[in-house]
Amino acid sequence: MHPSVYRAKVEKQKGRHNSVTVEVFLQGGAPWGFTLKGGLEHGEPLIISKVEEGGKADLLTSKLQVGDEVININNVELSGYRQEAITLVKGSYKTLKLLIRRYEIWSR
Amino acid sequence: MMSQMKSTTVSHVQSHTMTQVEETMHYNHNYESEMEEYMMQEEDWDRDLLLDPAWEKQQRKTFTAWCNSHLRKAGTQIENIEDDFRNGLKLMLLLEVISGERLPKPDQGKMRFHKIANVNKALDYISSKGVKLVSIGAEEIVDGNVKMTLGMIWTIILRFAIHDISVEETSAKEGLLLWCQRKTAPYKNVNVQNFHTSWKDGLALCALIHRHRPDLIDYSKLRKDDALYNLNLALDIAEKELDIPKMLDPEDIVNTPKPDQRALMTYVSCFYHAFAGAEQAEMAANRICKILAVNQENEKSMAEYERLASELLQWIKRTIPWLENRSSEKTMQAMQQKLEDFRDYRRLHKPPKIQEKCQLEINFNTLQTKLRISNRPAFMPSEGKMVSDIAGAWQRLEQAEKGYEEWLQTEIRRLERLDHLAEKFRQKATTYEMWSHGKDYTLMQKDYESASLTEVRALLRKHEAFESDLAAHQDRVEQIAAIAQELNELDYHNAAEINARCQKICDQWDNFGTLTQKRREALERAEKLQETIDQLFLEFAKRAAPFKNWMEGAMEDLQDMFIVHSIEEIQSLIAAHEQFKATLPEADSEKQAILGILNEVQKITQSYNISSTVSNPYSMISRDEINAKWDKVKQLVPQRDAALQEELVRQHGNERLRRQFASQANVIGPWIQRKMEEIAQSSIEMTGTLEDQMNQLKQLEEVIINYKPNVDKLEGDHQLIQEALIFDNKHTNYTMEHIRVGWEMLLTTIARSMNEIETQILTRDAKGITQQQMNEFRSSFSHFDRKKNGAMEPDDLRACLISMGFDLGEAEFARIMNLVDPNNTGLVSFQSFISFMTRETAETDTADQVVASFRILAGDKPYILAEELRRELPSDQAEYCIASMPPYRGPNAVPGALDYVSFSTALYGESDL
Repeated sequence: MHPSVYRAKVEKQKGRHNSVTVEVFLQGGAPWGFTLKGGLEHGEPLIISKVEEGGKADLLTSKLQVGDEVININNVELSGYRQEAITLVKGSYKTLKLLIRRYEIWSR
Repeated sequence: MMSQMKSTTVSHVQSHTMTQVEETMHYNHNYESEMEEYMMQEEDWDRDLLLDPAWEKQQRKTFTAWCNSHLRKAGTQIENIEDDFRNGLKLMLLLEVISGERLPKPDQGKMRFHKIANVNKALDYISSKGVKLVSIGAEEIVDGNVKMTLGMIWTIILRFAIHDISVEETSAKEGLLLWCQRKTAPYKNVNVQNFHTSWKDGLALCALIHRHRPDLIDYSKLRKDDALYNLNLALDIAEKELDIPKMLDPEDIVNTPKPDQRALMTYVSCFYHAFAGAEQAEMAANRICKILAVNQENEKSMAEYERLASELLQWIKRTIPWLENRSSEKTMQAMQQKLEDFRDYRRLHKPPKIQEKCQLEINFNTLQTKLRISNRPAFMPSEGKMVSDIAGAWQRLEQAEKGYEEWLQTEIRRLERLDHLAEKFRQKATTYEMWSHGKDYTLMQKDYESASLTEVRALLRKHEAFESDLAAHQDRVEQIAAIAQELNELDYHNAAEINARCQKICDQWDNFGTLTQKRREALERAEKLQETIDQLFLEFAKRAAPFKNWMEGAMEDLQDMFIVHSIEEIQSLIAAHEQFKATLPEADSEKQAILGILNEVQKITQSYNISSTVSNPYSMISRDEINAKWDKVKQLVPQRDAALQEELVRQHGNERLRRQFASQANVIGPWIQRKMEEIAQSSIEMTGTLEDQMNQLKQLEEVIINYKPNVDKLEGDHQLIQEALIFDNKHTNYTMEHIRVGWEMLLTTIARSMNEIETQILTRDAKGITQQQMNEFRSSFSHFDRKKNGAMEPDDLRACLISMGFDLGEAEFARIMNLVDPNNTGLVSFQSFISFMTRETAETDTADQVVASFRILAGDKPYILAEELRRELPSDQAEYCIASMPPYRGPNAVPGALDYVSFSTALYGESDL
């Protein structure tokens, strides 16, 4: 799918919920302590599905959270493919800058 | 001494006033004063003892002649004036002659005192005639005193001959003078101013004679300077023709410058008496003529008056009846003509009469005045023509007039009113007649006989309206009658016609009243009947409709197609039918009653002669309809009986089928149930290995399969039941469907269970889960599967995980849910649960590991080739990879290079970083 379409689909999936954009700065190198899920390969948004307890992502003052959508890695705007994101992350040496979109979570 | 006396030349002397000419010697003309004057003269003379001898002579002659002219009548004479009166006898005689009165008897005797007494008698007489005898005493006369005697004689002459002379209210001397002047006025050569010088030429005397007796003297021949001749002539003629003795001596007169006025006065007075007498006679004759003339005139006036009065009275007499005629005319024009005539009368005819009356009055008054001043008795008009009569008649005329005018006005007004009233009457009568025309005909209509209730009611309303209209017209009829009444009272000339019309109207009115009343009664009666009928119809409608409905319902019910599925049903139908049959008698009587109503209506219409085509406005249901339906009902009843019985038989048959089925089903159903339980049981039980479980299940399976024929048989029975259209079966709770479904379920369950066991075996083998673990998982799952349907709900899962020590936040739980229930079914199967659990506790393959594995296969290349896949993997898996892997587009790409990295990551939903 064309990235812009994907983004539109994402927004549709997510609905009209308020979101904030958060910049997350990780340091120290891999492993970063989070798991990415989804991606354009699956027709899904790129989501943080797991944050390892005690991992670098977890020890930030402004933590990464499960459900955060990654939209930008190291000032590179993502196309949406997980492979791309993985590549970008693996390409980071000592520092990793993520731009994530966080939606309001509603209780079940 | 000549005295100048100026006399007045006034022609109408009314008084004694005369102008006096003041001269040295003049004399008053007043008689009294003259007497005094004479006396004064005498006294003067007495004092002087002078007597003009000429005068004495003249006087003596004249006086003597005068006395003798009178004494002659007594048959005696005197010779000597101073002697012959000494004894007083002739004096007394003279007085008697000239006065015409008797003196007292003279004293007969010769003695002095007798003479004095006689003279005194005479003197007394003279003084009794109003003469003041001043200083004349009887002794002087007896003694023969000439002066005294002459004076006395002059006194007598003055008193008896001159004093009474009255000429135009001038008396005595002045009168005499005036008379002379008057008479001599035509004679131009005579100018009498006094009694002395004016007479000297004698013309005055002649003129006097000529004036009265022109035959005696030819005056034209006389000459002024021939005084003596004139005098003589006059004296002669006077003596011969006039019986006046000569008292004067013409020579004395001519020769004396101023003749004695007394003598002249005496002589002239005789002329006066002579002529005046004649004159008096003439005057008397004149007076008589005048009087007669006046009389004649008066009489003429009287006659004229009488005539005019008579005419006027006659006119009045004619006119009054005309004015008093109060016969009225019929028409206003005639009356107005009368008024016009009256106006003419007032304008043209009466005024001249007023004039006449006025004239009459004037004439009368003039006449009366004339009569009065001429000392005649007042005019007494003849009977009925007196002023009062005329006035009275005129008054009556005027009254009649007034009355007439008033009457005319009244009459005209009356006629006007009558005309107006008559017109009003005609108008109102016409209006009324127009209104009433044809109404009696309408009132007598019998239109209510064939009318319906509403029509009758409408007629009643209409009639009510008519009644109020009638009432409204009551006023008008009364008005008409009132006008007719008034016309009668006012004596309208054509009252008969009016009355006839009025009568007709009133009769018609009364008739209306009667007719109206009758119609009202008839209408009300008709209404009543119609109402009764209407009531009956209504009742009929009220009863017939439900009855009809009942009948129709009954018919419907009786023909009702019933479908019953049980004996009870048919039996209840039969019972209902019986019940229905029981109601028939009651229905029948109801029918009779309803039809009875119609009979009632018919009776009424027949007996009251109302149109029998009257239809029921409330209902269309006819007698025939009711009867027809009833018959139908009766007909249907046995039909139904038959049908019901038939059905009953059928139902019994069905019941048998049911029982058959039921007995079968009641066996099979529980059997299936048991078997299900057995299966479930084996799933739940943890004893033995999975293989054992599998065997168990296999055995069960066989049993089940062997049982099939029973089910088939049941199907057969079921077929029959279906064909018999039996839909329920209270003998069993199991329907064929139940059984079928149960059977299917059984088969499915057994298969699934077996499958599950297989899967578990696989999983166990794959994951290396021990049987114990598996049992643990199994028991947890079973425990939290609250609903025991082989799957967990999210809450169950949550509880389960918590019990296993998982501390879950919402996000984490959500992730887990996503894993175990990716399809969002809301249920977690045991398989997923196992998968999840095993994954959590076991090493998981990550995408990286797969990638690593592929790299090995690819010989450390970033891409892999199809032949490599085919070489290393089983063929179908290899083909799958070849088909699914995207082409490798990285550096050093060769044709046919496949990207195993993206494929791998795609295999896994996530990547750990």
